[in-house]
Amino acid sequence: MSAFAEPLPYAPRGPALALAALGPVAIGGILAIRAETAAPLFIVPAVIFGVVAATSPALYIASAATGTAPPLAKVIRAFGVALGAFGIALAGLLLPAAFLALSSVETVMTFAAASAAVAAAAFFGLRRLAHELVSSTAEAFPGAATIKPSLTASTVFFVWSAATIGIAGRLWWDLASEVLS
Amino acid sequence: MIGAAIDIGTGTTTREHRPPALIDQLLRDRDAIVARIAAGKDLMTLTRTMVATIAIAAAIVGAALGSYRGGIQIGYAAIKLPIVLLGTAALSAPALTAIGAALGRRSRLTADLALVITSLAYGALLLAACTPLILLGRAIDLTYHQMILATVVMFSVSGIASLRMVTRALADERGPGRTSAVIGLCVVFALVGGQLAWSLRPYLLRPRTQEVPFLRYTEGSLFDAITGAIRSARGIYTRDSAPLGD
Repeated sequence: MSAFAEPLPYAPRGPALALAALGPVAIGGILAIRAETAAPLFIVPAVIFGVVAATSPALYIASAATGTAPPLAKVIRAFGVALGAFGIALAGLLLPAAFLALSSVETVMTFAAASAAVAAAAFFGLRRLAHELVSSTAEAFPGAATIKPSLTASTVFFVWSAATIGIAGRLWWDLASEVLS
Repeated sequence: MIGAAIDIGTGTTTREHRPPALIDQLLRDRDAIVARIAAGKDLMTLTRTMVATIAIAAAIVGAALGSYRGGIQIGYAAIKLPIVLLGTAALSAPALTAIGAALGRRSRLTADLALVITSLAYGALLLAACTPLILLGRAIDLTYHQMILATVVMFSVSGIASLRMVTRALADERGPGRTSAVIGLCVVFALVGGQLAWSLRPYLLRPRTQEVPFLRYTEGSLFDAITGAIRSARGIYTRDSAPLGD
């Protein structure tokens, strides 16, 4: 488990964050084409970034309160790297998702392809966030190179992830109802 | 001398970089090809050769499938099948790179594209090796649905062989993100390949079909079509007769 705390060879930075900003707009564009309304262009980025902005402070507060959080700057950096990872993953999945969504007859398939791309990218982003938080903690506390994610830290992260996914899922479902209707 | 490479440092053209030698190496010694991709050694020559291999091998298989109907369908299928394989590679390779990079794997789009193209070329060559079986099916008058099922089996085997090559290549890597990248690639590969193939059908037409369309109107899903073909092969029909065309 010590490998979990080692810095990864590639850390997404500026261009990756640009991809994170543009990817949801592109997914919204796919849905907008099928729904024949421009609303998803704005709603998809709003759902993704709104949920992250609304829930990310909670992760720091809960982690700090339980004594498992790295310094605030490291947490912000970890979120930046995770958002970049989300952007890169979404960029890679965008072409297949666009092809599957736009070549299908059913609107449900369009929405399923777009949802799967966003969900997969979010999963990879969360995984990267978990790794970055652990490695940041290891860096913040000298001599803790073999630091392991504690049960408390893992629980906090799991509960936060579940809540974030739940909120985003609900908002996404509302968007689906609008697009599919 | 198309595709021949010159070794940097010696300035000599090496025999193992020539297209026939590369294809032979792909069939006999895939570990060496994988090592070459991992080292980033002359990837452009390799990729060009493998694209040409896919185009030719898939065209041969397409023509064989089209021969079940005959006529213009031979040409149509020979054009469409290479597009399916190359399109699948173009749409899937970025997913491998992106997922890996998101999880900390070193970003290497060119090498990943070369790997995906090379593995698909291997699959295309295996399919080309199945061409006599396709022609045998025509010769012994297999029914349309039996031919479809035989074709699905052949494509499944070659697809699994292609993915296995990618999996083995990435298994040699040390570092984070490779398992997720492989799983992601497999899912994207299967979905995109299946849908692209479905979108560009037909490849196999009943001999009695009068008018041959280049593309068929999309109807239902790929999953519905596979289920229907299995039922029809078992003699369970949901229609009174097969379509005869306009």
